[in-house]
Amino acid sequence: MTQSLPALVFMVPLTAAVAMPVVGHWKRSACRPLTVAATIAMAVLAAASLFSVGTFGPVRYALGGWQAPLGIEWIADEVSATMAAIASVVGLLVLGFSGALGEASLSGRTVPYHSTVLLLLAGVVGVIYAGDLFNIFVFLEVVSLAAYALVAVPGGRALLSAFRYLMIGALATTFYLLGVAYFYALTGTLNIADLAQRLPGLLESKAAVGGIAFILIGLAIKMALLPVHAWLPDAYADAPDSAAPLLAALVTKAAILVWARILLWGIIPANADAEQILYAIVSGLGIVASVGGALLAMRQTEIKRIFAYGGIAHIGLVMVGLGQASAKAAAGALYYLVNDAVMQAGLFIFAGVVAWRYRVRAVDDITGAGIRNPWVVAPLVIAAVGMVGIPPTGGFVGKWNILLGTMEAGNPFAAAALVLTTLLTLAYFAPVLERIFRSQRMSRMGEPRGELGWPVRLSMAVPAALVLGLGIFGDGLMSAFLRVVGGP
Amino acid sequence: MPELLDAAIQRPNFVTFILLLLAGLYICVSHPNLIKKLIGLYLVQNSVIFYFVTISAKEGATVPVLLDPTRPVQAEAFVNPLPHVLTLTAIVVQVATLGVSLGIVSAINKRFGSFDEEAILEKLQ
Repeated sequence: MTQSLPALVFMVPLTAAVAMPVVGHWKRSACRPLTVAATIAMAVLAAASLFSVGTFGPVRYALGGWQAPLGIEWIADEVSATMAAIASVVGLLVLGFSGALGEASLSGRTVPYHSTVLLLLAGVVGVIYAGDLFNIFVFLEVVSLAAYALVAVPGGRALLSAFRYLMIGALATTFYLLGVAYFYALTGTLNIADLAQRLPGLLESKAAVGGIAFILIGLAIKMALLPVHAWLPDAYADAPDSAAPLLAALVTKAAILVWARILLWGIIPANADAEQILYAIVSGLGIVASVGGALLAMRQTEIKRIFAYGGIAHIGLVMVGLGQASAKAAAGALYYLVNDAVMQAGLFIFAGVVAWRYRVRAVDDITGAGIRNPWVVAPLVIAAVGMVGIPPTGGFVGKWNILLGTMEAGNPFAAAALVLTTLLTLAYFAPVLERIFRSQRMSRMGEPRGELGWPVRLSMAVPAALVLGLGIFGDGLMSAFLRVVGGP
Repeated sequence: MPELLDAAIQRPNFVTFILLLLAGLYICVSHPNLIKKLIGLYLVQNSVIFYFVTISAKEGATVPVLLDPTRPVQAEAFVNPLPHVLTLTAIVVQVATLGVSLGIVSAINKRFGSFDEEAILEKLQ
């Protein structure tokens, strides 16, 4: 039973997503309860999977009973089980928030919206667990298709953003597939663990270099690494408020988790010589992305765009962690990734609540909106503290370990970039926080609409609680992550 | 340089793959028409599938069905079925992508009355 938990976590949202059009045809109002029920079931199963992994050790699930390396393998270790649990929790939070916005915010597309959200969650779970290069490609495409559709929901301007996102996203997955094809031509295997066995001695070959390059380019576009990030701010800013948190928290994180898996489990164990160059490239890309993303975030005037660029900077930080020859930095990077998913969900839900209740989308308008509700202000402050990385938040634990790792690996530039990004993060959050605390109602803004019901309060409070929890009780999880990446 | 040219001439399939890939990318970037951009995207995707087929081709081999279980299996007489299955799956994924993208393009056309990116951008302004 515990062996099949990863597959069950995936099957529940997929089945519900496929059943949704039928259910919606029968009774439109049944869509939302069904989606919420499926996501709760998924969260329970994911929590059970995390618990069983923590108690009995990692699970390697062979789909259809075909053993790896011939069959497709799903790996549930502490990292993937945690990420799957976080994904289902984020799904629940977004549903709690989107219920308050009502059908009007979805332009009446209730049935497709709920179906697509479930499809996205199922795809993300697949990407998280899959230990097979081609399987990852298929699930990346499932996630992306759901994401394009969600961006396009409001119509109008969002349609063009969705189309641009689709063009660049589809090219990215094609590049990834090309990289996989190179590896397959070279080694004859698609399983990541098996790849590590067969690659030694082959890494100098041009096919291996091409494979790594194409996989990195494809995944870099998917994770919005700085020079190829241009699709992200438009897509997230134009996406409906009820979908943006889901996209921001999960889609880019899934891509970088794939890169971490391929790098740490497939390529790095296989060789000794090319390692240094690869580390230098990954770390260099990360440094550029983290500092550049934070600098761009400072120039934004729209709340959602600030958070979007903040997310781009954090993807860079994770890359910096992955690019150090140190298990501590790698574990810290993965921990930061989990954290960042929670923080991004919290921030984009905040942006959605502010846009819905106070009709504010630009930072300058916050001053006049009179945002006094502690359920809105407190989670923002906690998320901001987490983004900057001040203890006792999870952001601090991750960043601290990455920093220690850069010292261990003797990489002062990476350490400097980390500190600089932290300061810049403080700089772009300061105006938002300052305006929140000065916030007074001005007559032209109108009264805040709607009441903050308990689902919305919960979807604001839970990310904040998770950010704090990951910081205060994170030691056990952090040492588990260290074990997974092969550290002491 | 002559060796490179020589190597290219001996591998017509790889040259075709690269030409298809570059042509597709060029169309994606250069054409303002959204449908033509999609055609470019489709060319890029197909070039990768073409590459998959190229690396899995095997001369003188047959379908991997074991007709006589009593005789020992001659691996070299059969084609590896895996790349072909991968190709099939990749084509299915492409069809799904194409479906979603055509859906979005048709919604754009309904809303803005044009397939031309520049015209649409003008209307948005």
